[in-house]
Amino acid sequence: MKGVIFNILEELVEQRCGMQAWNNILSELGNAGIYTAGKSYPDEDLMVLVGAVSAKLEMPDSEVIGMFGEYMFSQLADRYPIFIEQENTLRGFLKSVDEVIHVEVRKLYENPNLPSFNCIDTDDQTLLMEYRSPRQLCILAEGLIRGAAQHYKTTITLEHPRCMHKGHDHCDLIIRFQA
Amino acid sequence: MSQDIAYQEAYRREKKARREAEQLLEDKSRELFKLNNELLNTNNRLKEQQSLMLRNEKLATLGTLSAGIAHEINNPLAFVLSNMESLRRYINSYNALLKLNRQWQEQQNLSPSLSDQLQTLLDEQDLIFIQEDTEELLTDTEEGLIRLRDIVQNLRHFSHSQGSERVKADLAAGLNSTLKILQSELNDSIAVNCMIDSLPLVECNPGELNQVFLNLLINAKQALEYNQNPQIFISATSQDDVIIIRIKDNGSGMDEQVCKKIFDPFFTTKPVGQGTGMGLSIVYGIIKDHNGTINVKSAQGKGTCFEISLPIAGTS
Repeated sequence: MKGVIFNILEELVEQRCGMQAWNNILSELGNAGIYTAGKSYPDEDLMVLVGAVSAKLEMPDSEVIGMFGEYMFSQLADRYPIFIEQENTLRGFLKSVDEVIHVEVRKLYENPNLPSFNCIDTDDQTLLMEYRSPRQLCILAEGLIRGAAQHYKTTITLEHPRCMHKGHDHCDLIIRFQA
Repeated sequence: MSQDIAYQEAYRREKKARREAEQLLEDKSRELFKLNNELLNTNNRLKEQQSLMLRNEKLATLGTLSAGIAHEINNPLAFVLSNMESLRRYINSYNALLKLNRQWQEQQNLSPSLSDQLQTLLDEQDLIFIQEDTEELLTDTEEGLIRLRDIVQNLRHFSHSQGSERVKADLAAGLNSTLKILQSELNDSIAVNCMIDSLPLVECNPGELNQVFLNLLINAKQALEYNQNPQIFISATSQDDVIIIRIKDNGSGMDEQVCKKIFDPFFTTKPVGQGTGMGLSIVYGIIKDHNGTINVKSAQGKGTCFEISLPIAGTS
């Protein structure tokens, strides 16, 4: 997982609970907490941190991950505006994500856990995103999509009928755009 | 307290500076990654082009060599074959003589001393055996010469020194008729999927092009021998001023080393005596002669795809 994701989690915790809370989480986990955007770190580290954050906030993991996803989008948009500027619409942006991930993750390290998004234009109002990833972070993807919708000021409804957590080989994320 | 505020300010400043540094790193590494990918692609394309060029040069040299050898062998072969015909006629005359002698001997038309003399000569020279063996020797020799003639013919096909006649023909019809010829061989076990568009007429030698289709389809069939779900895909379509024909199988495929040699005359992966190694050389020669190109893509265990492109407007 890219270091920037850890940085954003740190910011989220600092914003919600203060600097001391993040320091406490790190010291409880015996984690030095040094993460830089230029590097990738083990996925487990992030999951352990998310677990600790959920415990602190007294929220289930999935809810924290969803919230984190939404927050993450705004932070990523702030840091890497180029990807947002390239696309004028939410649909266009969502369809560009797969390509962006591949370049952004692989530019520094080969990563076998790369997620993939296969986009299918079901109709004018609907986009189907098939999410595949050994990490099974579909809830994070959901949060990111909600964050993107907010950024593009587009109202959407999001359905998630097929899910890897329910034994399917991939997740179907169905995004309906409201006119 | 003011110390705390000072630290906080410094922390924010540092954080901002770090973000800038990280952003720079990310942007630069993205640029590098993209440039590197472009370079890798260009390099791969260059390598492909280079190996194609080498292949074409090698085949052109082999073509010249084959044409020369075919021509040089053809002349002596022609008179040897013609002499063989005369020789057979002559031998028949000698056999008639021998038969007459034997007849006289048996009917006791000869004096005992002449008959004995004749018998001694027959025994000494083993003439009865010679008579039988000559027949066999002549037959074998003729067979050998006919094989030689076929090889020379194949070499001439490969080096496209035939100067064939051109007519306007429908390649879709050619493909379909070739498939019909192979129907009994293919239909039982192999699923053949065709996507043959109606094609504009092409100035070509349809007989030769049918041979191309036949050779490629036979190869596909042979590659599918041990396949559980054997399939052949045939597609033909016209794009701008070329016709593109693909013959693809999901058979055994070839490795890179084999792929490089398949158009070489006499190259075969079959056991000795089972293949002439001329099938694809002839295919290459015919396509070249039609100003077309033929390329092959293959992956071991996955299958092979031959792609032929032929110019629609005159090929001479």
